[in-house]
Amino acid sequence: MYYGMIAVYYVMIVNILYFTIMALSYRNIGTIYRRSRYSNYNTLSGSELVPPVSLLVPAFNEELTISENVNCLLTLNYPTYEVIVINDGSSDNTVDVLIKEFRLKKMTNPEFRGTIDTQEVRGVYHNPDYPSLFVIDKENGGKADSLNAGINLSHYPLISSIDADSLLEKDALIRMARMYMENPEEMVAIGGDVRIANGCLIENGAVQKVSLPRKIWPMFQSIEYMKAFLGGRIGWSQMNGLIIVSGAFGLFRKDYVIAVGGYRGGYPGEDMNIIIKLHRYMLSHKIPYKVAFCPEAVCWTQAPDTYKIISNQRKRWGRGNLKNMIENRGMLFNPKYKVMGLITMPYNVLFETLNPYFRITGLLALVGYTLLDMTHWRILLTFFLLNFLSGYLLSVGAIILEEIAFRRYKKLSDLWKMLLFSALKFFGYHQLGVLWRVQGHIQYLQNNNSWGTMTRQSWSEESKTA
Amino acid sequence: MFHLTVAYIFIYVCLGLIALGILLLFQMKISHNRELRNREMYAKKHHDYFVYVQANLQDNVELRLPPGKLKKLEKRVVQDKFIEWIEQFKGDYRHKLIELCREAGFVEEDLKALRSIRYGRRLEAAYRLGGMRAREAVPMLQNILQKRKYSSLSIVLARSIAKAADNSEDLLQMLRTLLSHGKPIHNLAADIMLETGLDSSAILLKLLNDSDSALVKVGLVAMWGQAVPEVMPVLGRLVGAEEKDVRAEAVKLYLTTNPALKDDTIAQLMSDRSWEVRAEAARALGQLHAAGSIPLLTDALRDSSWKVRYNSAESLAQLGEAGFEALCQAALTGAGIQREAALHRIELVMEKEREHSAIEQMVAYNKKRLLYDRYFGVKQPAKRVGGVAAVGGDYSA
Repeated sequence: MYYGMIAVYYVMIVNILYFTIMALSYRNIGTIYRRSRYSNYNTLSGSELVPPVSLLVPAFNEELTISENVNCLLTLNYPTYEVIVINDGSSDNTVDVLIKEFRLKKMTNPEFRGTIDTQEVRGVYHNPDYPSLFVIDKENGGKADSLNAGINLSHYPLISSIDADSLLEKDALIRMARMYMENPEEMVAIGGDVRIANGCLIENGAVQKVSLPRKIWPMFQSIEYMKAFLGGRIGWSQMNGLIIVSGAFGLFRKDYVIAVGGYRGGYPGEDMNIIIKLHRYMLSHKIPYKVAFCPEAVCWTQAPDTYKIISNQRKRWGRGNLKNMIENRGMLFNPKYKVMGLITMPYNVLFETLNPYFRITGLLALVGYTLLDMTHWRILLTFFLLNFLSGYLLSVGAIILEEIAFRRYKKLSDLWKMLLFSALKFFGYHQLGVLWRVQGHIQYLQNNNSWGTMTRQSWSEESKTA
Repeated sequence: MFHLTVAYIFIYVCLGLIALGILLLFQMKISHNRELRNREMYAKKHHDYFVYVQANLQDNVELRLPPGKLKKLEKRVVQDKFIEWIEQFKGDYRHKLIELCREAGFVEEDLKALRSIRYGRRLEAAYRLGGMRAREAVPMLQNILQKRKYSSLSIVLARSIAKAADNSEDLLQMLRTLLSHGKPIHNLAADIMLETGLDSSAILLKLLNDSDSALVKVGLVAMWGQAVPEVMPVLGRLVGAEEKDVRAEAVKLYLTTNPALKDDTIAQLMSDRSWEVRAEAARALGQLHAAGSIPLLTDALRDSSWKVRYNSAESLAQLGEAGFEALCQAALTGAGIQREAALHRIELVMEKEREHSAIEQMVAYNKKRLLYDRYFGVKQPAKRVGGVAAVGGDYSA
């Protein structure tokens, strides 16, 4: 029985911690709302004083969405930037689609400024009519390898990694740049807010009308992202303990990314890895720094909508997370690494990486005791209610944050739907999440290092069906 | 049993908060949607009035205020429209709209809100007062800016001051406060400063002559893309400034004006400690057609900074046959980064000039072609796609 009670306490403590992080998000939400409401981006997006940015877009088998996404990226409200698409040895026609769409020609002698090791580059394509677009065609080496190749070719001091399946809002980059300009010396990385595009009306490479997804898998993810980004990352960013900047959309100081050796190849979770490395580097060298989250810079992404794809994605995340924690175990409880070593990392290990095991064993213990002695059913019920209610409260908290500062979903029916799915999430989806994470850990132990399938559909198709 | 009681309390607290949260959510959603609807309705209601104002902005008539007694949100809709136009228009139109805001009592109301105890309310008022170019708000805005810790919201206040200030002293004071936190936000500060409606050349001169080097830097970055003849003498002095950043910025600006340079000045700039200065000097030498500097530029192909190497190669390519020959020599006999930089530029030149059709360009191209063939043979040199220099490579640019 004792173990069962420990599990009950574990759930309460985890949730109190989640609430504390969320409280920090609440503390900052007023400032976030005001700074985006009272900033006029028109003047800034035409100013030469804004730092130029290289957008790095790794692409692997993205022939369906790549044209639209590149077109979207070429029309951002931003004064000076370049788009570098890196084709990571796709087996489909990603490169040909781009060559045809933008009438690109192979450059005879492209100059790579950087020297990070990457897989062999087959060629760089360019068209002077689109001076800010470059396409690197290289052998397959993974996402991190592609980003490194992009860094080697990039011409500007700031880099931004963007997933090829994501659409940036026109002001997203300038909003991030504003945040960078407010503290250019210390800001080493800024993460953007990732939202689920399934269900939205997409035209000309931009989200024209925001709606919640119609299918259940993307709908659950929509709630999940909102909770993680608004409820979690705003708070973590407040105490400079952000452990991840989403690979889908982030801005980085190139000099520091190079200083830590670029992205780590060969394993998923490179987006978390680069942030941990940056924290480690800055803290070891005693350089004041900040890894920040900019929730008003929004990127819309296509969420997986079938069981197979989402389970693959989550197993990959689970593997990446475990790998990162094991690789950086030296930072755990190490006062040298301040918030990172004393709070973020232990929190991640105890409440993210090991979370499934506490929950599963706790549940099994309680079920076992109840079967032995039916009088313990109250404790079992308490355990369920604790899990459900505290999780639901966090979802409600995140939706309130959304309503205070962003209000992307206008209809009253959207609110009903969000509240309903926040509850439904705990009956099946939540448990699957736990299972996928454990499966990811098993894959790690088995040395399974594949990226898994990730198929896309074109944006127009997506708009119709989702 | 004690443990269970703790768990029950936890559950009840969660339940209570969930109920409260859901109520709050619906209340917020409904009131936000109502506000949106009302705003639309008021915008429609005052459509004719807005057309009237737009049509009469250029005439010499006194503009009337919106008809009837306005509700709070209604006022806000009209005010927002005026502020939007003030941002778009300049000169007399803007002046008339500002006066209209004043007559309608919008300025007075926001000045009152600026004294509110709620910071959110004060900030909102500050934003609008800046939009309405309300000079009388400046002292209070300065006061708030000075008292608050530096954050994103300081930028909102600073922009309002820059818009509303009617004298350069207020502007300088705002910049001093903003920069007093020791953050290197010169680009942002320059962008804010340029919001001013005052004559910027006089302000730039003041900034460049200021004893505070942070303000000098703001002045220098603000000058990008602007030709301000009055400041040239000051710029000449700053080229010799001790502080690295100031010197680099000043040199960059100074060289964009294509001044005549003495040989020893060129040599001095090309061996400056700051890579930015060297890069700018290398770039300027090509445009000045300073053929005498070919040896210096050839040496600079070995510079540790990528930008210096790149600009040197580009300048050599601009210096006629002699420059191109120097590039070929460096590509053939040089090693590592020097060879890389030269080879890259040669490829670009050959690629670009092949497309030219005019006779004199053909002649120039053929001369370079001959040189090229002499150095590399008639065949194309092996393509170097994907190969990366084994040494060097910096990311300063």
